[in-house]
Amino acid sequence: MSDATVFIVDDDEAVARSLRWLIESIRLEVETHASAHAFLDRFDPGRRGCLVLDVRMPGISGLELQQRLAARRAYHLPIIFITGHGDVQMAVRAVQAGAFDFVEKPFNDQDLLDRIQRAIAWDAAQRDRESQREQLRALFAGLTAREREVLGLVVEGLSNKAIALELGLSAKTVEFHRARVMEKLRARSLTDLVKLAMQLGAEA
Amino acid sequence: MGTGSEALWLGLVAAGGTLAAALIFSAVSALRLREAEQRLRDKEIDHQAVMDRLQENEYRLRAIIESEPECVKLQAADGTVLEINPAGLKLVDADSPEDIVGKRIYAVVAPEHAELYRENMRRVFAGEAVVYEFRSITLKGRTCWMETHAVPLRDARGAVYALLGITRDVTEHKLAEEQARRHQTELARVARLSTMGEMATGLAHELNQPLAAIANFARGCIRRLRGGDVAPSELIGPLEEVCRQAERASEVMRHVRDFVRKREPQLAGADINQIVRSVAKLTELETRQHGAAVRLELAPQLPRVLADPIMVEQVIGNLVRNSVEAMTEARSPRREITIRTGPNGGAGVEVEIADSGPGIDGALIDQVFDQFFTTKREGVGMGLSISRSIVESHGGTIRAESGAAGGATFRFSLQAAGQEAGGGERRHGLHR
Ligand SMILES: Nc1ncnc2c1ncn2[C@@H]1O[C@H](COP(=O)(O)OP(=O)(O)OP(=O)(O)O)[C@@H](O)[C@H]1O
Ligand SMILES: [Mg+2]
Repeated sequence: MSDATVFIVDDDEAVARSLRWLIESIRLEVETHASAHAFLDRFDPGRRGCLVLDVRMPGISGLELQQRLAARRAYHLPIIFITGHGDVQMAVRAVQAGAFDFVEKPFNDQDLLDRIQRAIAWDAAQRDRESQREQLRALFAGLTAREREVLGLVVEGLSNKAIALELGLSAKTVEFHRARVMEKLRARSLTDLVKLAMQLGAEA
Repeated sequence: MGTGSEALWLGLVAAGGTLAAALIFSAVSALRLREAEQRLRDKEIDHQAVMDRLQENEYRLRAIIESEPECVKLQAADGTVLEINPAGLKLVDADSPEDIVGKRIYAVVAPEHAELYRENMRRVFAGEAVVYEFRSITLKGRTCWMETHAVPLRDARGAVYALLGITRDVTEHKLAEEQARRHQTELARVARLSTMGEMATGLAHELNQPLAAIANFARGCIRRLRGGDVAPSELIGPLEEVCRQAERASEVMRHVRDFVRKREPQLAGADINQIVRSVAKLTELETRQHGAAVRLELAPQLPRVLADPIMVEQVIGNLVRNSVEAMTEARSPRREITIRTGPNGGAGVEVEIADSGPGIDGALIDQVFDQFFTTKREGVGMGLSISRSIVESHGGTIRAESGAAGGATFRFSLQAAGQEAGGGERRHGLHR
């Protein structure tokens, strides 16, 4: 989690600086931007962390920024909105549109910091899951056509004998393919294999 | 086609779109024929031919009136409806002619416009052609605005025997007009009466920013001090920021003071009753929309007061608006506001604004003039505080009372003009 950054976008420089000072007290990396434009210009989707936004920003509003991020990539940084008194409805809309959380001004510092921590943890989890899936996809890509066939039937619950019959192979050959599949997908047991296959299936 | 009908058709064609004129013309030609009939009868020549022509013309006239898309009606001097065409029946929501023919037209005139209607009838029967607007409540209770073009119908001897009226539903037009007026009143209100309220909202935001920054910087310092792993020198920067933000906040406040100072009253001799009337007009639409009526009880021959009229209007406007808001909020069945003027104990004048609303809770009555004291969701709580500043800057006082009989009463006094020794124009700051 050490590589996470808290991105702050706020048009009020003093407010942005003060948020940085507050958030750095829990030893997090902070980066401030004066406008949504400035943030989008330098935005690297690969960076981890979370985004802290004032709902009421001149220029591109917080909600618009959220929409633009969503349009760029299926997954984006979790966003915590800071709302002024009376903007709660706007914040609710933001959350409905996919924002991670919101805090109402004036906020309790511990509350804000807790929410930031949660957002960062959530982001890390999302990204870990995503990279696992990618790894799995890469492993699956390494299977031969025959191995995929065998995998499909194994997952359906067929015995080696039944698979041999089905594919017109000897039981021994099936045994061999099956072992290769286990090895290539780094599965230790049949249950492992079924779980992995299910993950892959959910992808397809 | 006889000459009479020709004239009628020519009249219609000439009138082009103005059916009212055409119908009046045709009615008049019919009457001319009646006169001709009289003359002919005197000369005792072919009676029957004239009668036929007259008959023919009357049928034609009737046919036109029957098919006329606008309401055409004949009324007697007392308002009795003599005849009305199908379009007219529709306009007043009558299912059959018996619902309205033979009845008084006042059955469908809104009570508050009955007198106006009567006056216009009198003018028509005195021989004038008039155009008037009135609110109508139809037989089925529908409310709409009507515009009537009315002309007198005369008999052969020239005496007016009926009113011929052509009436149109102008509700939509009227609503559009009202909306435009409301918009204008709203503009005037924003410009004049709620500059301070608007400013207070903007001010709140302007102040919130540095205050939020101060809180963040201070909390960041506390957290580090609690953690015990911070060098004192590291805190200098953020604490300097705290000071800068505090200065920023007081800068915002200085702007407010400047703004207020620019609005120093321009005191001169003024007619308080005139000021009250002007406010009554300005707030009329708003009060009417909330079902409230404003009654003025203005004492004659009051001394001129030393006042800035715009500012005193602002005070009375605030008080009237508060009354309307209180009565609306409390759903008071009777919504009445009385504005009285009269001499005060001394040489000056007292203005009283009393309403029939819920009154003010005794426990709160001492706070209502406090800045930002409000019991309303959308309230800023500046209205009364500004009002008091204005009255005091005029050298007067303002008080609130909540009577046992219910309702709130606000009273303020103003000095008479010319009573102060220095003479000429005097200035008071609003604050301090
Ligand atoms: N005529 C009245 N009847 C009952 N309560 C009143 C009346 N006038 C004022 N008050 C009370 O006094 C409070 C303060 O009034 P004030 O005009 O200062 O502020 P406001 O009307 O609440 O907000 P603002 O005028 O800034 O829009 C009101 O919120 C209301 O509770
Ligand atoms: Mg008010």
